[in-house]
Amino acid sequence: MSKLKLWLGAAAAVALLALPGGNPSAQEKELVFGLHCDRTGATQTVGVFLCPGYHDYISLVNSKGGVEGYKIRVVEIDNEYKVPPAMEAHERFKMEGAVLTGLYGTPQTAALTKKLEEDKVLGTSPGFGTAAAADGRRFPYLFPIAASYWSQAAGSVAFVKKELGGNLNGKKIAYLYYDNPAGKEPLVIFEDLAKSEGFELRTFAVPAPGIEMGAQVLDITGRFKPDFVITHLFGRSPSVSIKELKGKGYPLSKVISFVWGASEADVKAAGGFELANGYNTIQFAGVGTDFPVIKDINEMFAAQGKAAPSQQEISVFYNRGVVIAALHVEAARNAVKAKGGARPTPEEVKRGMESIKGFTLGGLVPPMELTPEDHEGGGWVQVWTVKDGKLTKNGDWFQAYREVIRKHLAAETK
Amino acid sequence: MWDELQFASALIVSGLSIGLMYSLIALGFVLVYKATDAINFAQGEFVMLAGFVAALMLAPKMPVLVAIGAAVAVMVAFSFALERIVLRPLIGRPIIAVIMATIGLGAMLRGLPPITVGGETRAVSLNIGDMPIGFGSISLPPVQILGVIVTLAFFGLFTWFFLRSRMGIAMRAVADNQQVAMAMGINVERYFALAWAMAGTVSALGGVIWGSMLGVDVHLALVGLKVFPVVILGGLDSVAGAVIGGLIVGVVESLAAGYIDPYVGGGTKDFAPYVLMIITLMFKPYGIFGTHRVERV
Amino acid sequence: MLQRESGVYKTSYAADMALFPLPIARWTMAAIVLLFAVVLPLSLHEYYLSIINLALIAVVGALGLNMLVGYTGQISVGHAAFMSVGAYTAANLAVKFDLPFWITLPAGGLMAALIGAIVGIPSLRIKGLYLAIATLAAQLIIEWVINHTPAISGGAQASIQVPRPTLWGHELKTQGQLYFFLLFFAALAILAALNLARSRIGRAFVAIRDQDIAAEIIGIDIYRYKLLSFAISSFYAGVCGVLYTYYLGIANYEQFQIGVSIDYLAMIIIGGLGSVLGSVLGAAFVTMLPIVIRLVMEPLAGLFFSAGELSSVVASTRLVVFGALIISFLVVEPEGLNRLWRNIRNYFRVWPFSY
Repeated sequence: MSKLKLWLGAAAAVALLALPGGNPSAQEKELVFGLHCDRTGATQTVGVFLCPGYHDYISLVNSKGGVEGYKIRVVEIDNEYKVPPAMEAHERFKMEGAVLTGLYGTPQTAALTKKLEEDKVLGTSPGFGTAAAADGRRFPYLFPIAASYWSQAAGSVAFVKKELGGNLNGKKIAYLYYDNPAGKEPLVIFEDLAKSEGFELRTFAVPAPGIEMGAQVLDITGRFKPDFVITHLFGRSPSVSIKELKGKGYPLSKVISFVWGASEADVKAAGGFELANGYNTIQFAGVGTDFPVIKDINEMFAAQGKAAPSQQEISVFYNRGVVIAALHVEAARNAVKAKGGARPTPEEVKRGMESIKGFTLGGLVPPMELTPEDHEGGGWVQVWTVKDGKLTKNGDWFQAYREVIRKHLAAETK
Repeated sequence: MWDELQFASALIVSGLSIGLMYSLIALGFVLVYKATDAINFAQGEFVMLAGFVAALMLAPKMPVLVAIGAAVAVMVAFSFALERIVLRPLIGRPIIAVIMATIGLGAMLRGLPPITVGGETRAVSLNIGDMPIGFGSISLPPVQILGVIVTLAFFGLFTWFFLRSRMGIAMRAVADNQQVAMAMGINVERYFALAWAMAGTVSALGGVIWGSMLGVDVHLALVGLKVFPVVILGGLDSVAGAVIGGLIVGVVESLAAGYIDPYVGGGTKDFAPYVLMIITLMFKPYGIFGTHRVERV
Repeated sequence: MLQRESGVYKTSYAADMALFPLPIARWTMAAIVLLFAVVLPLSLHEYYLSIINLALIAVVGALGLNMLVGYTGQISVGHAAFMSVGAYTAANLAVKFDLPFWITLPAGGLMAALIGAIVGIPSLRIKGLYLAIATLAAQLIIEWVINHTPAISGGAQASIQVPRPTLWGHELKTQGQLYFFLLFFAALAILAALNLARSRIGRAFVAIRDQDIAAEIIGIDIYRYKLLSFAISSFYAGVCGVLYTYYLGIANYEQFQIGVSIDYLAMIIIGGLGSVLGSVLGAAFVTMLPIVIRLVMEPLAGLFFSAGELSSVVASTRLVVFGALIISFLVVEPEGLNRLWRNIRNYFRVWPFSY
């Protein structure tokens, strides 16, 4: 029976340790932010860069005295890109008294939409979830705070139009996408624009896990022979697409990728910046370390005797984390200010988020304007191109085809 | 017409080569099942582990062959350890216990990189160039050609091993009936270890080649998903089946993407091999080359 | 369950199969009912109730999978796909026809049962791992059909928002209210499984698991019972999917992918194959273990790491600990929590006079 005693002992030890050590005391001058992250699941290669960026910005704010005197405490929960842990995380944030939450993952965003509304806590979903969430009247507590896939589609077509000499009539555009709801979402915008701009659109689906797309790329380069390729891929598949297109002799300067195939990691995995020269990417946050706020973060670490975070190597994701954190902090700041320094409720923080305007953090954040109607902030994007061994800025922030997107948003609301 | 023909042949060539790359992963799975009856659901994670070892060795500019050697050494040692610590206590348990143990192992392996070496994507550069070799649209990247060569070499080696060598015949005896093999004086445990070592070697090369194609991070483990239609189609315990199954899956995927996708809105590539697999199983329940198990009451 | 008998006094098969072998068992049951229906919901914070809610939903799914894998011996790795069948059936009925949950819930289950029986057809010829991979094919095909059929999925986003369940005009939406909703169905599922297992059908399932040829020889129609097993298992999965839909307020197939099937396999293997109690314990264990590991680690690791590093360390260590626990569990106690529980009971049966 010694085995049994061992089990009993182990169970008792776990039970003792697991006893909640009293609720973390909500201090007077403290605001709690809840952050969902995926560091161990299907999208961990994004999470392990994005979430540290979030934490580093919050540390920076705290090291400078916090938001209007309030220190910020981040409670992060790794949801493994699964839905049940995301629900558990949401309840935990609520228990800790979080004034806002940062969502992570499209299925998780969908699963929590209703709960956020009932609990009246806002959730931000930059790059996740549905484009329709831009409509603040329909989804009052969901904040994409970044260009949706619709806006990215519009932005990419505008970029293609510019690159092809200002006229798309009779041109051919291929859309290579991951065969999931996120990949199919921009189709309606492309189809609309194909009609109004007069280009021929053909779509090529890559099913999960997307580690191989020889046949699709052959179809594009051998049969369709498009003037431009727009890609919208996830995980490891963007690097495969770069490699395959390059291998079949298609010029990468005629390829533009949506935001999740746009990081340094994708370029490196595809074989490096040399090979991927000319590859265009859409971004909803600035790229690189050449921003005042990143320098501030590194100075803060230097003052503590630490090196700059290694996660900055993949600055595309790291900076997105910084941008999300910065917008969260601004929302809280607006709420505290509006209340004259008193502790804001989650609902007041939501109104604080809806009054963000003209906050660009030295060019890292697009010039977005959040309102109770528009939770996307205008759908601003920037194109960054692989050039001279790094991602270089290719033009300023821009919006495109807003009337088309507004039309579809209105149709969704009906 | 000429264009169409060229397109079709390009599709088939690309499918055949990628199919053999799948076979490379599947071979490791089949070897273990054939000799020890264990089902390894962590095959993809094995490949990932080997990829990480190779990438870490290549980072300080080690020669490619040293990196491959290190990957093989680590994988063989790892497979030995796994067999002794985890799988041997499970001998005689329902197969589902082994399946679950390897799934748990997979979770562990996926959790390790972020805390040990960091979560970023690493490149495995084999210094064989990136530009495809071939003519016209029928061309293959060098790494895929290497993959094809390695798979065919392993196939030849294992076929010879099982048919001609003394050890290979002993291993077949072990696979056929462990008790009788033991009675004939065969050291069954040693052959179990040998089977795992062989599987480790195959996984190591799979890791290097797929790692060089995709880059090494946790996503590399996804190649494990491609193993199942291949081994089931070919037969779980057949080396030839792994190769033929891989070729069929590769070509079916390629043709589905080229000719079915445009009509149904895409994405058939992933499950087309499975449909073919089910149809095949209805006629041959143990795959094309799998051993038919005779059950007695 | 908790009671100790002084010896075996059973004289009939009926007594052997009784759900309550001793009169005191009724009291134990009453105490458990009291605990779950009154004490827990009154004493626990909403956060802990939300964890129990997730476990309750998992219990329903695990029971169904155990019916197929544990009792009938047919391995399936497509369980999650049947959940999505149930979820979309219920969501479409609830939204398009405005039907209440007590119609959509059984409808979702029945639809899943129908699809499950169709998927089960290859089991008539294919066995073991070959069958397991055939069910994996079903998973991929069902996912593809939902993803590519707007009539089912409700548009490109493939998600359908569902109103909360209402009971006598009350909307159930807090974790406390949903707790009772889920507890009711979980209890019903447990009761049904207990009774099914000791019926003629349950015995036929076990005979097929132990050896299907032998079962056929003693006169069991194995084709009928294999398909029935697939149908019943999928019915449970469908209901589990509907419960998820109402709990989250949305049906979305991306919540039911292959990884979920694997999680449910883990539940029944850790809990114990072919055991109702095992399914319940396994579902609770797999749902709560990662949370418990995290709750234990957060204060401990907090002593050594800063807030940012902490999240990273906790997340990966948790996955490693989870994998290691599953493996050590299988190596040390391959028959699962159910067996462990019986060992504990046997130990205390003669305690303190062990011999």
